[in-house]
Amino acid sequence: MTVSSSTTEPLAAEGAAPRPPAGPTSVAPVRRSRVDLLPYLLVAPVMIFIACLALVPAVFTVVQSFFKVDALDPPTRFDGFGNFTRLWHSPAVIGSIGNTALYVVIGVTLSTVIGIGAAVVLQKPFRGRSLVIAILILPWAMPGVVEGILWTGIFDPNAGLINSVLSSLHLSDGNAVLLGQNRLLTITLIELVQVWQIAPLSVLLILAVLQLIPGELYEAAQIDGCTSWSAFRRITLPLARPGIAVTMVQAVIATLNVFDQPYVLNGAANTGASVTMQTYFISFQDLDFGQGYALSLLITIVTLLISLVVVRLVYRRVEL
Amino acid sequence: MLRTGRRMGTARWNAALMAGVTSLALVLAGCSGSGPGDKQSSGGSTQTSGVTITVALASDPPPKAALAAFTKDTGITVNWVNIDWDSLQSKISAAATAKTYFADATNVDWSRVGQLGKLKWFYPMDTYIDTKAMEADVPQLASFTVDGHVVGVPYDASFMVTTVNTELFQKAGANPAPKTMDEYTEALKTIKAKGVLEHPLNIPFAAAEGLSTYWYETTGAFGGTVLDKDGKPQFTSPDSPGYKAAQWMVDALKTGLVPPGNINVTDSQGQQNLMAKGQVASTFSDYSGNVGTLYNIKASSSVVGKVKYLPTPGASGPAANLSNPDGVGIPKEAKYPNAAAKFIEWFTATEQQADFAGVNGPEKTFATYPIPSHLSAVQQMVAKGNLVGGKDLEPMLKGSKPVFEGGAPSWYPKFSNAVYTNLHAAATGSMSVEQAIKTIGDTANQLASGS
Repeated sequence: MTVSSSTTEPLAAEGAAPRPPAGPTSVAPVRRSRVDLLPYLLVAPVMIFIACLALVPAVFTVVQSFFKVDALDPPTRFDGFGNFTRLWHSPAVIGSIGNTALYVVIGVTLSTVIGIGAAVVLQKPFRGRSLVIAILILPWAMPGVVEGILWTGIFDPNAGLINSVLSSLHLSDGNAVLLGQNRLLTITLIELVQVWQIAPLSVLLILAVLQLIPGELYEAAQIDGCTSWSAFRRITLPLARPGIAVTMVQAVIATLNVFDQPYVLNGAANTGASVTMQTYFISFQDLDFGQGYALSLLITIVTLLISLVVVRLVYRRVEL
Repeated sequence: MLRTGRRMGTARWNAALMAGVTSLALVLAGCSGSGPGDKQSSGGSTQTSGVTITVALASDPPPKAALAAFTKDTGITVNWVNIDWDSLQSKISAAATAKTYFADATNVDWSRVGQLGKLKWFYPMDTYIDTKAMEADVPQLASFTVDGHVVGVPYDASFMVTTVNTELFQKAGANPAPKTMDEYTEALKTIKAKGVLEHPLNIPFAAAEGLSTYWYETTGAFGGTVLDKDGKPQFTSPDSPGYKAAQWMVDALKTGLVPPGNINVTDSQGQQNLMAKGQVASTFSDYSGNVGTLYNIKASSSVVGKVKYLPTPGASGPAANLSNPDGVGIPKEAKYPNAAAKFIEWFTATEQQADFAGVNGPEKTFATYPIPSHLSAVQQMVAKGNLVGGKDLEPMLKGSKPVFEGGAPSWYPKFSNAVYTNLHAAATGSMSVEQAIKTIGDTANQLASGS
């Protein structure tokens, strides 16, 4: 087993002539003079699909973000960095950037910790494990809007479940305002709902990696006198790093683009509005598509940068 | 071995052929637009028979029998799509911007009229229907007119109205029919002081459209308007009705007249979970029709027969009610605009509205239908006793006026966003009423000046 920081694959002996199989029936290799088009043809449909649905819109977004594209203020015209400047001077956008940063910190941390913890618990087979995994997936399979509506009832200050429980435990008068009043509390609670949704995928991704760790490693560690905690720190965590990195990247993407939960649970209030919500308001309420493109571009760039940092810091190539 | 090699060669050839055909199909699909519907999108078909039109509204469909009768009469089949209001607005914007078809007839909300009129995303309805002849009978038509053209035809006459739970008012010995804002506030304080209810007033403070409309109605009650004809703010001075209205609303929350939890309650949640359950005694800005369609429905209400409409208390006497009707129009990308126009003419006709409102029997009733937009249909309802609280509502409808004197400005959605986010922030205490009003005023000035 090796854990290395290198991410480069050892190159195969490309270009070398294939060795003919030994034996009397072997046929001498025929050197093809023409390029084999089959591999290109096979990937072509997917490439066209990706190009049309992802690359073209992405390029369009980048280009249009430098134009004034406002349905109420035609015509479309070049605006340089005008859209970006206006975004920078918008208190709503700046507020939403702060909110989103909190969503990312809370969401990525919690989903990763929960993912690792639950995956370790599920690592060893036990009766009913499949059922537990099946139940675990349910929140992940539910649409964010549905989850938001479900949790609206739970957080409701007048008749919600949380207030009822707090009241019956004599911890509050049963009318605590959970969302909308305090920014940090609002964002934390909304993010908990999102973590409830994204953590199952984190668990599955890390669990998939943990399943690849040979049991012999733990046996050897046990013989060497390793405690469970040491085995977790010295075997499980290092070997799970590829899975943890992927988990964190998907959590970064999900939390940076959080929309459904804050929109359903807290409306457009500044206490919880995310950057993607601002993109929606700017594009579809104000019809200022240029600014919407610019904000989308910024979100994409930030997502890429944070994901790269996460991969650089967390990912390690593991060979078992 | 030879056969295997040949088979492999055939397999490669088949795979290559399949991949090539798929690629070609994808390229052709991408280059050819979105099919036959697209060809018609630049002007639409004038066909009015033997076609199927899509009607997208934020409502359940009318009775099947009514739609079937329409199809029988006209040869037009209606595909009814129910989309929630917010998503529908996004769909309208996205489809119009992308110049793609999504419906032949769809919602034109009063608040979007200015925007839609300026953008010319909808066909002028006056080219299809004699809207001039409707003016006298449909007072809310003015709210749907921009530069002399009707963007959509109102299909209901929804307006904002005050509702009170008379039983709770009487239990506290409070005046159940206050005529002024002072009397109304005093009555609510009495209910609280007598311990009948801890929080008697419903104001939906969630940062959503319902908070904006509540403020407009309250501003009207204090004797003013939010914007003038040019879109200039009329609420920035502390002695202006708009400022007083905002202060009154926030004070009501801070003094406990409004449940603290209302900070995150939307208009519909407040009506369904608080007012309909007797948790509050009054909603100052409620929807006309709610007594009949919500509060008097046993399945969803515990206050059946107890809630009444109240002429909106004003600064020195009853104030006018502000209208917030829904309309229906034809997007420019409609496939069958003429057929859609026929549908709208039928859907908004007096007799049809009387049917929908239950004048001619329950089988013709459109369950979620609010008050008809035609005064004559309302009169039929009142005469037959079909309109709950009809005697109160009819004069209110006649005296109702648009929220904005000059019609909803094209930048209304941005303004409304500033209204509800800042009033919400003032209610949470993260900014003062003064700061909230200043921010809303600055936004309005900026938008009105076009900068």
